[in-house]
Amino acid sequence: MKKTALLFLMLFPLLASAQQSASVSGYITDAATGETLIAANVALLDRRQGTTTNTSGYYSLQNIEPGVYTIVVSYIGYQQYRREITLQPSENRRLDIRLSQKGYRLDEVVVQSEREQEEQRAIGTAQVKTEFIRKVPSVFQADVFRSLQLLPGVKAASDFSSGLYIRGGSPDQTLILLDRTTVYNPSHFFGFFSTFNPDAVKDVRLYKGGYPAKYGGRLGSVLTIFNKDGNRNEFEGSITLGMLASRASVEGPFKKGSWMFALRRSTLEPLLAILQQTQDNIPEDFAFLDINGKVNFDATGDDKLSLAFYSGSDNLKFPFAEDAGINLEYGNQTLSGTWTHIFSEKVFSNFTLTGSRYFNYPSFNIAATPFERSNNIYDFSAKGDIEYYPDDRHELSAGFWTGLLTLKLQDKFDGEPTFRSRTHSQYGSFYIQDRWEVNNQFILTPGLRLNGFSEGGYLRLAPRLAVEYRPSDRIRLQGAYGRYHQFLTLDSNEAFTGFDIWLTADDEVPPASGNQYVIGLKTSPWERYNLDVEFYYRTMENLFEPDPFLPDQAGLPYKETFRFGRGYAYGAELFFERQVGKLTGFAGYTFGVTRRKFPGFNAPIQEQGARYYPPKYDRIHDLNVVVNYELSSRWSASAVFSYATGQAYTKPLGRTAAFNFPTTANSKQQLIVGKVNASRLPAYNRLDVGFNRNGTFFGRGKAQWQFQLINVYSRRNIWFYNYDLDENPAERDAVQLLPILPSISYTLNF
Amino acid sequence: MYRILFLAMVSVTLLYGCELYQQDRYKEYYVVESYLVAHNSLPEVLLSKTVPLEEEYSYKDAAIDNAEVEVRWLNADSTIRRRYPYTFSKDGIYAPVQSATVREKQLYQLLVTLPSGDSIEAKTFVPGDFKTVNRDELSDRYVYQGDEQIEITTTPSGYITDRQTYYVFTIVAEETDSTNLTPFYADLVEEQDNSIENFYINSSGIINEGNYERNSDNNISLKVPWISFSFYGHNAVVANAIDDNMYDFLRSQSVQTGGTSLSPGEIQNIRYNINGGIGIFGSLASDTNRFQILRPSP
Repeated sequence: MKKTALLFLMLFPLLASAQQSASVSGYITDAATGETLIAANVALLDRRQGTTTNTSGYYSLQNIEPGVYTIVVSYIGYQQYRREITLQPSENRRLDIRLSQKGYRLDEVVVQSEREQEEQRAIGTAQVKTEFIRKVPSVFQADVFRSLQLLPGVKAASDFSSGLYIRGGSPDQTLILLDRTTVYNPSHFFGFFSTFNPDAVKDVRLYKGGYPAKYGGRLGSVLTIFNKDGNRNEFEGSITLGMLASRASVEGPFKKGSWMFALRRSTLEPLLAILQQTQDNIPEDFAFLDINGKVNFDATGDDKLSLAFYSGSDNLKFPFAEDAGINLEYGNQTLSGTWTHIFSEKVFSNFTLTGSRYFNYPSFNIAATPFERSNNIYDFSAKGDIEYYPDDRHELSAGFWTGLLTLKLQDKFDGEPTFRSRTHSQYGSFYIQDRWEVNNQFILTPGLRLNGFSEGGYLRLAPRLAVEYRPSDRIRLQGAYGRYHQFLTLDSNEAFTGFDIWLTADDEVPPASGNQYVIGLKTSPWERYNLDVEFYYRTMENLFEPDPFLPDQAGLPYKETFRFGRGYAYGAELFFERQVGKLTGFAGYTFGVTRRKFPGFNAPIQEQGARYYPPKYDRIHDLNVVVNYELSSRWSASAVFSYATGQAYTKPLGRTAAFNFPTTANSKQQLIVGKVNASRLPAYNRLDVGFNRNGTFFGRGKAQWQFQLINVYSRRNIWFYNYDLDENPAERDAVQLLPILPSISYTLNF
Repeated sequence: MYRILFLAMVSVTLLYGCELYQQDRYKEYYVVESYLVAHNSLPEVLLSKTVPLEEEYSYKDAAIDNAEVEVRWLNADSTIRRRYPYTFSKDGIYAPVQSATVREKQLYQLLVTLPSGDSIEAKTFVPGDFKTVNRDELSDRYVYQGDEQIEITTTPSGYITDRQTYYVFTIVAEETDSTNLTPFYADLVEEQDNSIENFYINSSGIINEGNYERNSDNNISLKVPWISFSFYGHNAVVANAIDDNMYDFLRSQSVQTGGTSLSPGEIQNIRYNINGGIGIFGSLASDTNRFQILRPSP
């Protein structure tokens, strides 16, 4: 108890601030829609004091000497807000501010406060605007994850995968939160698209590494996505018709709040119907559906309630041969209810109840022999975050997250249960962190997170520290360290995500852990130009993954179904961005090295042990250039060029065969390999272009045509090589990625 | 400024030129192959070597002749209980000089001394034999995909360790005319260009004993799925209990052919339990029943 009191006193040293000082706090919202703006910058121009809005759009400036100030609020894409305010002694001014969008005034010169783009440029952090997601050329339709894959440090496994491979981490190492709720399998069409409908999304923020104590549970990174609150001023909506999927959204106000509802559905049926008439082995049904919704209720000026839900599913029905077929249904459902309460101008809070379900039900029936799987994850949790602004130097935050995770997996073969697993785990975590502006040049953000997991009884402490030094207004030197723990692992395949299974740590299956070290230099050489460099090094210990050499888990102790390994990754990221003028965009370059090691894997023949090897997604060099050009008030063009080192693959060196194997009529062909993944596919490169035309729909509403050409010069990048040992000598076949693909969509806003 | 640009160019060149993890070169390995079946005669041993992938593979050319081959029956403490010398037959095939029966639940060792002086060594423990106990209750004929399915009840197998039994079920078709193909396999052969020979012997993957519950009399009932039958007519249904060497070989060989959580293009070596070479010196116990699979009524 004494220790707790001591800790409290140490971490809250400035509870009693000067009584004469004043404060300003409130929400920043979009003037047109009433949407809260996350990470908007708020500053007092006459004073070196500023802050950013939190994930609820709230800001608080404390410990201001009474006087006259100019408050400046800015947010990319919005007109800067400036207003003179006079603060009296001890005044706690509530100032809710509404920002107007810029329109087409692209060359507008704005006065920036010193705290502009504070959050966006925190170390390891990237924010992606939904407008960017909608505009950037993307295969068939706008996609949140494919837009993220353009950022330095974020890689794609292939053209077919929207999975996020961040700084050497596999997709399961990224915590994905939708309205504060964990999403376990954010993919459609077996990974081709992510589940997030860009029409429903308000804010996308990626913590690539060195993320703060507020988050935990994953070794690598955190992606937070917030759905729109809905327009608080007027009813509006949009409809987008696309080649692969179409979507619609409506939103509007009610007496004391707002609501939003969005729908997205694949529209492959006509194409399937045509193909079914001319070709065999075409799926009978192949569709996905997403429904997003949110209702907000502003109970009082200090209390807001919101209820958000998401439901998405994929369905496949595919008779792939005579007397044989596969059915697959998988998807996610999330529900979250949040109470946002302002205790005082210094204490802001969020309390959320979340529910998340992931399911997949694959079934094969071949020659009257059914295989059926029922896989369900239920995750119910309660979480709370409290932010405390004791003065103009400290932003203290603390919070908890506790929940009950249930994993149910059942397999049946030929009508008989063959595997059944039901795991109930309680998890809990507590964090505390302080953003301490030591002086005008130094900012420290120490934090501590305590994670607990009931299966196996694990308790893990995770210290975090971020440091920022600003030798001048245009230069920031940043560093971060963090220790991270992960109690879950994913059994998946980069080529096919519909069968994903999550597994937990347990007795003798300790959680994975790792350290991350990040240093960075962030500069603004000119107004609205950013040049950032980050270096990272991370370790991964106790990686536990289902043993891929295990054909059947029945009857084996849980521990023996895993392989345990370790890994590391290091790299450098360069990011150059231009935000002003008719030509905007960015270039991101990544140098990255990732290695993993598992006993018994990549071991030399006739030797035990293991060697480190690069996973397939390891790419040494990765360059993305994204540009957008405003041709006129109606037309804009965008282009994306990507270049990357070819992915790692294993080049077989020799072959042999077993001729008398008792359980087969054929010989058992065998490849002899040396180092695993020691060869590289040809370098990857691709150019995508897109044109957007803004107009009106017979004067009734804004409309937009979008024309896109993916892989303009039809570069046939290679996914992997397949070795055909039925041929003699063996033949190598290249399995190629996407060819040139046109796409067109029409959006109507009303 | 020029100096910085020059340094940047040099750095990039170095990064490109410096391969961090180099591909190694082909190395030749000796390959052995032999399978001991409980209560069967000692098997032949095949001896060959690997060939580079880009070269044409011919077993005859890769075979190693004139090696000294011996199989030993070992005691539990690995001392030699009996030696079985082998003689070279042809094309890398070696046969026991004297016929002998493989004993269940016994340890055997293979020793090969090559003409070059190199040697190969491997051990296998022959799984315990098992037998069908309900053959009298089973019919000789079953209608394909009919209401009644073949369900064999066997005594349990056993192994040197306490591990569970690893089963592989094999259906050996005895009437392999293409007109006898069952619908699914007919489609694979006629519509999807698979060779009919691939289905003469049809095997399950590895199935752990843990999938089945032991009956009150400690026996195990194994239902034969319809997918196993690629041909109508007479079929031999073979239940095999495999040793660790076959288990490791099979499971890792199937990973090489895909279908696991490994990324496409990531190929791992097969797990060979052979010293001085690669290949397999495995053993199994098996039990065979014969049934006639009838076409369902139209």
